[in-house]
Amino acid sequence: MRRLGPFVIEKDLVAPPARVLAVSTLALLLAFAAAGVIFWAYGVSPWLAYKTIVAETLFSKSGFAEAVRRAIPLLLAGVGLVLAFRGQFWNIGAEGQLLLGAVAASGVALFVHAPAAVELPLMFAAGFLAGGLWAALPAVLKLRLGVNDVLTTLMLNYVAAYLVGWLIHGPWRGKSAFGFAYSDRFPAGATLPLVPGTYVHWPTLLLALLAALLVWLALERTPWGYRVRVIGDNPEAARYAHIPLFGVVFAAALVSGGLAGLAGVGEVAGVHHRLLDAYQISLGYGYTAIIVAWLARGNPLGAILTALFMGVIFASGDVMKLALQMPFRVTDVFNGLILFFLISSERLLYYRVRLAQSGEEE
Amino acid sequence: MEDLVWTTLIRALAFGTPILLAGLGEIFAERSGVVNLGVEGMMALGALAAFAVAQSTGLPLLGLAAAVLAGAVAAALFAVAAVSLRANQYVAGLALTMLGLGLAGLLGKPFEGAPLAHTLSETSLMALALLLALALWFVLRHTYWGLVLRSAGENPETVDAMGINVFSVRYAAVVFGGAMAGLAGAFLSLAYRPSWADGITSGLGWIAVALAIFASWHPLRAVVAALFFGALYHLSYRLQAQVTPELLKAMPYLFVVLVLSLSALGRGPSGAPEALGTPYERGERR
Amino acid sequence: MRKVFLTVLVVLLGVFGWAQGDKLKACWIYVGPVGDYGWSHAHDQGRIAAAKALPWLETQYVESVPEAQAEAYMDRLVKQGCQVIFATSFGYMDSVLAAAKKHPNVIFAHATGFKRAPNVATYMADFYQLYYLNGLMAGALTKSNKVGYVGAFPIPELKRHISAFALGVRAVNPDAKVLVRWIYEWYNPAAAKEATEALIADGADVFAFTEDSPTVIQVAAEKGLPSFSHYSPMQRFAPDYVVSGQLVHWDKIYIDFLSKVYAGVYTPKNLQNVDYWWLLPQGAVELGGKFGEPINPKFIPVLKAKVVDHPVFGKISVYDLVMKELALMKDDELAFDPFQGPVKDRHGKLRVPAGLRMTKQQLESMEWAAPGVAGPWPNEPK
Repeated sequence: MRRLGPFVIEKDLVAPPARVLAVSTLALLLAFAAAGVIFWAYGVSPWLAYKTIVAETLFSKSGFAEAVRRAIPLLLAGVGLVLAFRGQFWNIGAEGQLLLGAVAASGVALFVHAPAAVELPLMFAAGFLAGGLWAALPAVLKLRLGVNDVLTTLMLNYVAAYLVGWLIHGPWRGKSAFGFAYSDRFPAGATLPLVPGTYVHWPTLLLALLAALLVWLALERTPWGYRVRVIGDNPEAARYAHIPLFGVVFAAALVSGGLAGLAGVGEVAGVHHRLLDAYQISLGYGYTAIIVAWLARGNPLGAILTALFMGVIFASGDVMKLALQMPFRVTDVFNGLILFFLISSERLLYYRVRLAQSGEEE
Repeated sequence: MEDLVWTTLIRALAFGTPILLAGLGEIFAERSGVVNLGVEGMMALGALAAFAVAQSTGLPLLGLAAAVLAGAVAAALFAVAAVSLRANQYVAGLALTMLGLGLAGLLGKPFEGAPLAHTLSETSLMALALLLALALWFVLRHTYWGLVLRSAGENPETVDAMGINVFSVRYAAVVFGGAMAGLAGAFLSLAYRPSWADGITSGLGWIAVALAIFASWHPLRAVVAALFFGALYHLSYRLQAQVTPELLKAMPYLFVVLVLSLSALGRGPSGAPEALGTPYERGERR
Repeated sequence: MRKVFLTVLVVLLGVFGWAQGDKLKACWIYVGPVGDYGWSHAHDQGRIAAAKALPWLETQYVESVPEAQAEAYMDRLVKQGCQVIFATSFGYMDSVLAAAKKHPNVIFAHATGFKRAPNVATYMADFYQLYYLNGLMAGALTKSNKVGYVGAFPIPELKRHISAFALGVRAVNPDAKVLVRWIYEWYNPAAAKEATEALIADGADVFAFTEDSPTVIQVAAEKGLPSFSHYSPMQRFAPDYVVSGQLVHWDKIYIDFLSKVYAGVYTPKNLQNVDYWWLLPQGAVELGGKFGEPINPKFIPVLKAKVVDHPVFGKISVYDLVMKELALMKDDELAFDPFQGPVKDRHGKLRVPAGLRMTKQQLESMEWAAPGVAGPWPNEPK
């Protein structure tokens, strides 16, 4: 009846969904309150700030479309992270995997001239593969040598960003770039269609929703998913049950990186139509996807909602810049505060439950 | 050639100073068992605090103190989550980086492009960083408190058994690490490039995290590592026509992956604290 | 002169004219922060001056808009009622054209670009004449015969400026070289610092640059080395070490353009050929590191002491040469031009034949490097 190691947290999380929801909401409210204080210190009325955000993102058609556009990469990468975290693969490298997806897709778009019907699927496939491989190295290092996956995935983000930098300054610099650092424009057949009147590249959106559904099905309805869950919830038990740790977690890592790679494909094929600076491709989606996954509490379908929520946060950065002349860094303040309160409150919840239980034992 | 080596060494020391300062702080935090990935954020807050105070009072040393304080406060916030509330250290650190960068970018807006009348000299801070490395090595290796700190990271239960509060030790180490990151930020905004600009830290905090690992958590090896990373950065501009700059700039990160892998194979320098990244729960068996 | 008169007339018409009471809303999109003391700052100064001069003008701006996000921001600005949008970065080119197509009744003006449409004009206040004059002074001041240049991107605009600069350097000092380092960012003080240090380590002792902060000036001044200010009046950051520089008056273009829009001269239908290429004669640019002071008085004695043998003027001091050619270029575009043929590139290939000048189009797409330029030069034609 004793609890084993730190994994009691997970167990406690799934147990009372109502309380998890209540605590998450409380954490978000606290984060917004803290952000309000920061706005006030900056000289902007928090009331005005939130009024503007709500009006311009939730109650404006184009504003909401922008939130949805930002939610696309967040959902793809976020679903991947949900899967990775469930399998105890601490992938902080979605940013780098996303960039690798963008690189691979750009490579196909610029150098492989296939018929349009083949070109885009080829780009997505290449992006999935590249993102997956970028996650594979840390996964192998973790599973075979016990190397800390947080640190390796994190470090590889920077390597990926410099890889993009090298490509756009060097071999892939566009002939039409006039000396700037970006590739040539993709041919029309390598760009994604948009929902008219918006910048929402709908094929990637569909793909993201499909990915959420498939990962949910895989986790809940397949033997492989069952194994991932056992490894995540109780690694000791997994060992007793002779679950092949390497194969199961490695596959989860591959898919996780691959989904982030797809997000990268969507950004270059749907938004930019060329390979360009790493920080212009991504705006930090790979890091924000960690919040998406954390908020979703291990549920791929939940990530649909949380990705949209974080998409609204990104869109509010635009709104506040335009209406209140505030720097886009506002989104980092939101991101940081939300994540901070979220992980702190999560432990508080667990702590409370744990006290009650130990009382019973005594 | 001699000239190339000499000038590179000088520039390596200058660029290496902020990563050495922040890296030493991170080494202390990690030696106590806590990974703080928020270095970049604390550094940005330190840089802003230093510049804001020095710019409005005209006293750069007061700015330096403000930076130390800002870094320490930010680290204390992190410690509340990561030590007291036992939140995931890695994610808490990421949150701190986001928050620090965001807050500094936002509150620093009025200081963008503002001139600074009185600056600090690069050389004096470079010397300070080297002295600190030596002093911290001594503290860590040859004093009682160094022993306690290392034990908190290797085997917190023994520290508890000694009657010393593990949480207090870890708090102290983390807050000290934050103060050092703040100091690194002050070097950037008061000496290295006297100004405030959003993004002034430009990833140096992450290089400091890499440095702690690359130096295998050893204050004196950190000096060598800082010089090495600094030289790579300088040469990426110096040898622009000969070597791909991106390759030189990516190297610190690649080296960390390499060092981590080699030490896992038992062939490289190891020395990762045993309890690194594990929240301590009093009275709980692991 | 006629042009100036027309401008004044149009402004007056705009101010006192028939469209009383009607406001015009103009909006600016900047690529950097307005506080950067460089490019975006200069444009914003132009916006502020225009708003002051034109009582019927209402303005709004967005700063630090990454090139990849520009189109969405233009949509939002149109939605907020902007009738004229100034997009002030070359990288916005494709976004401007796409947005202009979507919003045919809005007037767009794109700085530094060369693609136009019925509702897209282009404009530029260019520095190449000033860079030549800066080069003359740099050539006179260097003792190591190495002049350092920190460049943002190897784009035609910078290649034109650096080449004009190098031609100036070589005109007074045929042995001197211009060492170039690229930082691949418009605004990155840390990179500018390290690039300057690298140039100093390689022996450069006079500096010019294209980056939106006074970093290069400050780093050079710390070592006691002279430099040339860029874009904004940066002389105050190192009053003893800034020799001269390039200053801009975007307001001249903005006031002219907006007045013509207000007076109905420019409409969203007739901008296909509206292209401002304003130089010294139009007063859009000014020599100096401080408004109203073409050369820092501290450097006048040295420049007067340095006498060169000039093919046209004979024995002449560098100071007099600078002032003479400045006056020539100010008065009449045809009297003197830095790229007066024959001009060869750094590999000895003839680029501008004797008796000819570069056309505006050639200047805008310039890729070759003038003799004396040393360092990486991406896309250099063979």
